Amino acid sequence: MKSEKLFFSMSLCLCVSIAFVLGSLSSAQARPIPPLEGLEALRKGFAGISDFSAEITQEKRLSLMKRTMTMKGTVRFRKPDQFFLAINPPYASRMVLKDATIEMAGGPEGKRNRMVLPPEQGLGRWFSKLASPVTQLPEGVAIQADLTNSLYTLTITPQGQGQVRELAIAFLADGTIRRLTILERNGDKASMIFKKLRRNTGLTDSDFRLEP
Amino acid sequence: MFKQMLKHFLKIIAPLLLLTACSTARPILDYNPEATLETLSAAVSMSVVTADNGMSGSGFMVYRRPDQLHLVLLSPFGTTLIEIFSRGEQVTLLYPGNATAYVGTIADLPEKGGLQGWRLMRWVMDAAPAASSAMNGTLERPGVQGLPEKVTYENGLVVSKSTADGQQVYYSRYSVAGGVPFAAELELRNAREDRIRIVLDEPEINSPLEEAVFQPRLEGIRILPLSLLRGITP
Repeated sequence: MKSEKLFFSMSLCLCVSIAFVLGSLSSAQARPIPPLEGLEALRKGFAGISDFSAEITQEKRLSLMKRTMTMKGTVRFRKPDQFFLAINPPYASRMVLKDATIEMAGGPEGKRNRMVLPPEQGLGRWFSKLASPVTQLPEGVAIQADLTNSLYTLTITPQGQGQVRELAIAFLADGTIRRLTILERNGDKASMIFKKLRRNTGLTDSDFRLEP
Repeated sequence: MFKQMLKHFLKIIAPLLLLTACSTARPILDYNPEATLETLSAAVSMSVVTADNGMSGSGFMVYRRPDQLHLVLLSPFGTTLIEIFSRGEQVTLLYPGNATAYVGTIADLPEKGGLQGWRLMRWVMDAAPAASSAMNGTLERPGVQGLPEKVTYENGLVVSKSTADGQQVYYSRYSVAGGVPFAAELELRNAREDRIRIVLDEPEINSPLEEAVFQPRLEGIRILPLSLLRGITP
């Protein structure tokens, strides 16, 4: 389906952020750790989370245009396969992902779009991969990990010439995400900073609706 | 679906985005009739509603008079979904996710061959304010390409235009920057009840823009003829 392709990069980022598969952060005080240790820390941290919600600040740096767009909003997640993202005005948009089905509403009139991802890109599939310990590094990516005080940072560099040059996630051992950063090959950079993250609050289906 | 999006971007949306001096004119704005919009950069939020589908999105755009445009549409996670470059009749659609670009002219776009789009763009852009802010009312005149149009002014600013074939454009949420009146909200309708609404945010008017902003970066990108594009997703 064409719309599936259109949002491939979006789904990739989504799966990555939700599955916490990737990430990185750099710090002058960072202590390098084995990539497997970093990945396993991420998996363990997430294992204790059934749902979470957080406020986010999203920044998009457009290298060519020399402009930065800053957006604020909310994210929610519930195992095994639900994700919600709402961006506040003036860039208001809302997105709900239920496994492989994405529904979005945005623009000045909140026009709705719906698309279905291939099953292998579904959220449930990604999380099922996190059910067991990480014993080997994923193929096709280079991974760096470091630990600064209690903050883990995973930096993933996909091989090849795809859109994403580098993806980084900073998180705590309890699964609290601090920041997700995506560096694109064209030099653009998108980052999502998580604040006021609340875990295991008992989110329900009503928290994953497209309607405000 | 993608064809329609393309059509709208390049025939309707893009023209609207390029819009520079238009206005809704409830309050009287102190503008300079001699000032012109040379460049524009702004965040963009848009909705497209047609008889059979629609789309919406947010992004960023830059424009330079008379006919250069670069529009970026973002995914909810802030990554780039599509970049659209146009200069005159040349069009490039760049899909970073697939490392593919489609290059051609508007005439190469799917469906009805395309120069109407640029005609429409220029029509939409032709919304210079009146010489006096005391100008109110509707008048008929030859449009920018000689087609008759009705233009409605409020306090000297163009608030709407229409043509006999059903094209209508409305300009609202005016402000003035550097003497140039600027409409932050545009809505275009046609006889088929297609409707495009665009809201521009944080506009910068007549700021210097480097030439590189309008040049697609195609290193390492597979380039295909635009005529091969079958939808908004390659």
